[in-house]
Amino acid sequence: MLQIEKIKEETYDTLRLLGEVDASNSVLLDQAMQEVLQQGTRYLLIDGHELSYISSAGLGVFMSYLDDFSEQGIRFAIFGLNEQVAEVFHILGLDQLIQIVPDKSTAIALPHVS
Amino acid sequence: MIKKSPLSIGKISLLLALLVWVVLVIVDLVRIFALINNLDSGIAEEVTWTLELLFFLCLFLLYRYIFKKNRQADFLTLLWSGASSGLFAAGAGLLTELIYFNLGDSKLGSEPFLQNIFYHINFAWTSAFLFATALLWRHLILYQKSKQVVKQWQVFELAMGVALLFVFFNHNNLDYSFLFGLVILLFLSILLSVNLKWIPYLTYKEKWKSLLFLFLILFSASILFYRILSYGNEARLLINLTDNLFLMALFGFVFVYGLFSFLVTLFNLPTSSVFEQKLTEAINFQKLSQSIQPEENEEQVLDILLDSCISASFSDGAWVEFNPSEQLQLPEALRFIDSDTHVALTSLLPAKNRSWTAPDRSDPLLPQAIRLAHSTYKSALVIPLVVNRNLMGRIVLLKEVKEGFNKEMMSIISTFSRQACIALENHRLLNQAIQNERYQEELKIAQRVQKALLPLHLDHPASFDICAYSNTADEVGGDYYDTYKVDEQRFVLIIGDVSGKGTSAAFHMAQMKGVFQSLIQLGLSPAAFMKKANAALSKCLERNHFITASIFSIDTEKQAFCHSRAGHVPTLWYRAQENKSDFISIEGMGLGILRNQRYENHVHEKTYGYNPGDILVLLTDGIVEGKNEKGEQFGYDRIKTLVEQQHTQSPQEIQTLLVESLHHFVGGDGMIDDDYSLMVVKFD
Repeated sequence: MLQIEKIKEETYDTLRLLGEVDASNSVLLDQAMQEVLQQGTRYLLIDGHELSYISSAGLGVFMSYLDDFSEQGIRFAIFGLNEQVAEVFHILGLDQLIQIVPDKSTAIALPHVS
Repeated sequence: MIKKSPLSIGKISLLLALLVWVVLVIVDLVRIFALINNLDSGIAEEVTWTLELLFFLCLFLLYRYIFKKNRQADFLTLLWSGASSGLFAAGAGLLTELIYFNLGDSKLGSEPFLQNIFYHINFAWTSAFLFATALLWRHLILYQKSKQVVKQWQVFELAMGVALLFVFFNHNNLDYSFLFGLVILLFLSILLSVNLKWIPYLTYKEKWKSLLFLFLILFSASILFYRILSYGNEARLLINLTDNLFLMALFGFVFVYGLFSFLVTLFNLPTSSVFEQKLTEAINFQKLSQSIQPEENEEQVLDILLDSCISASFSDGAWVEFNPSEQLQLPEALRFIDSDTHVALTSLLPAKNRSWTAPDRSDPLLPQAIRLAHSTYKSALVIPLVVNRNLMGRIVLLKEVKEGFNKEMMSIISTFSRQACIALENHRLLNQAIQNERYQEELKIAQRVQKALLPLHLDHPASFDICAYSNTADEVGGDYYDTYKVDEQRFVLIIGDVSGKGTSAAFHMAQMKGVFQSLIQLGLSPAAFMKKANAALSKCLERNHFITASIFSIDTEKQAFCHSRAGHVPTLWYRAQENKSDFISIEGMGLGILRNQRYENHVHEKTYGYNPGDILVLLTDGIVEGKNEKGEQFGYDRIKTLVEQQHTQSPQEIQTLLVESLHHFVGGDGMIDDDYSLMVVKFD
């Protein structure tokens, strides 16, 4: 089960993920990301506090947008991941390409990486 | 008793009837001769009567046989056979009359023997007609048998049997007992004559025909009866065969039932269309209920439905339209209206009945009667067709009168449409099932092909033992492992995992094998291998797919392995000397994540020395992430503990124990929702 909440704030958009991202619902995450991008966001945050599991298909979704983010200069960060989920990002090496931080305030305070 | 075949009964009774009749004629002629010449013929009246009785019995058997044989014949054929025999008998009688009229008062005209022969012939034909018709009536009366009707008929037959013998007591006198018997038999005939259940089954046209035949039967019966009465007054006929209670009663029965049938058929004419309508509806319903064969098309069902709706409601026009997503086209979508009228009428319908929005679940979608402001058509009935909860189309029926659709029509039409929709739904489900089966077959082939992509035999020297296992969540999966023998001392082990699972993963797995098998020939170091693999796979992987892999290049002479990891689940290394195991931590990014030169900064390699008794357990994430009912993962620690405990076992046993432990953890029949593979190596 996956629920996605979209929270729009002044300078950034947040997608709050609740539940699990697996092969069957990764398409929902993809749609949500697509929508936010189409709305012309400049700073996208993923709130992973309530994310209990992410499969390789879910990681593939984040991965597929990395080029778009760097091309369009969109800032992207993930925060609040639990240890297990963070480990999945780490093993794959995605933590070297995506800013993964403990909490929202750290995410907002991140310097702009071009 | 000799058992006679049914065929011979008819022939025998016919022959017997003829024989008895000839004997009767001879006997009667002898008697007349004696009477005229005042001689004693020595033949009693009773002989004539007995012969007459025998003749009747033969006729009865004959006609009963004929009707038994023609049990399946339709009513009109039967009625016609009655009418024709009547006409024949009446014709024969009239012909005799004509002959005598022409003969006038000539000698031949008053010849008593000739007269009596003619009389006997007419008697025979009349009796034949009466028996034919009476048994026809029997057939009709017993058309819808009930216990009561059968009993009534048996009583009547019994009474007729008594009447047959009546002549022996009454001696052909027209006394009160005769009249009394006649009244009783007529009463029974009337009682039987209410059994007219066959009439409603005639169509309107058939009713007209049967009216004609019934009239002919009544007409012939009247003529014959009149003639019989006139015989009674004729002095020239010295022997009277026809003033007989049985014959009179038979006349009465034939006439009464004929008359009842005639009148009831006549009065049934105006309502016969209703009965026919109901019958058509029942047949249509049956047609719609029949499931469509997979190779048949849906248009046929819709065509029948449209026809049925039109005929059930007596519509003056109709059309059927389909949801654009259905891609259905009926050759005759418009009935009795032209396309201009159709367009004009469509615009007159309420918007709700024109749109194709998905129906509300609370909306039962019943036929809806609508008033039209059109010059010709004043009312319409819109029937939605719902298949699989989708509004697939609608039928619009038109009438030239206001409020032309009554409740009964609407309910039968709604039943029709529901039935048709069920048939369509079943048809679609069946097609889907067939298609699914085909896909299943294809998947089985894919499964077989993919299994062949994994090595049957794992290359290894005597200095280490190895085994591997792979299982897919679906028919096909994205896990891969392989071994390669570089030379006698050097061996390469590789394990890989495509992101996602199922068919797309399976295709990428095949690509992965191609790339790995090519690169492994080049004798690259593990990190260089990963860099090349990333470059190659970046070109062929879908954008949101990646591959993780681990590679081990083992040198048995140096007792060392060089390892590189590309985003893959870390490998467990049990070190025998320390009796301790750890997951080898080395940084490395998955293949296809960074699809440019920058990837080269994210992959590393490291060489480790190993000792005999050391164990390597290469895994895919399916094992680590296997979840139990509580949502807990199997995790790294369980694997580590198990290997440490079982390190003395052979690789096969460790593998089996790991897989069993995983299944036990996930729970009884809990399916592991991902592909999982493992490779266990133990150094000697």
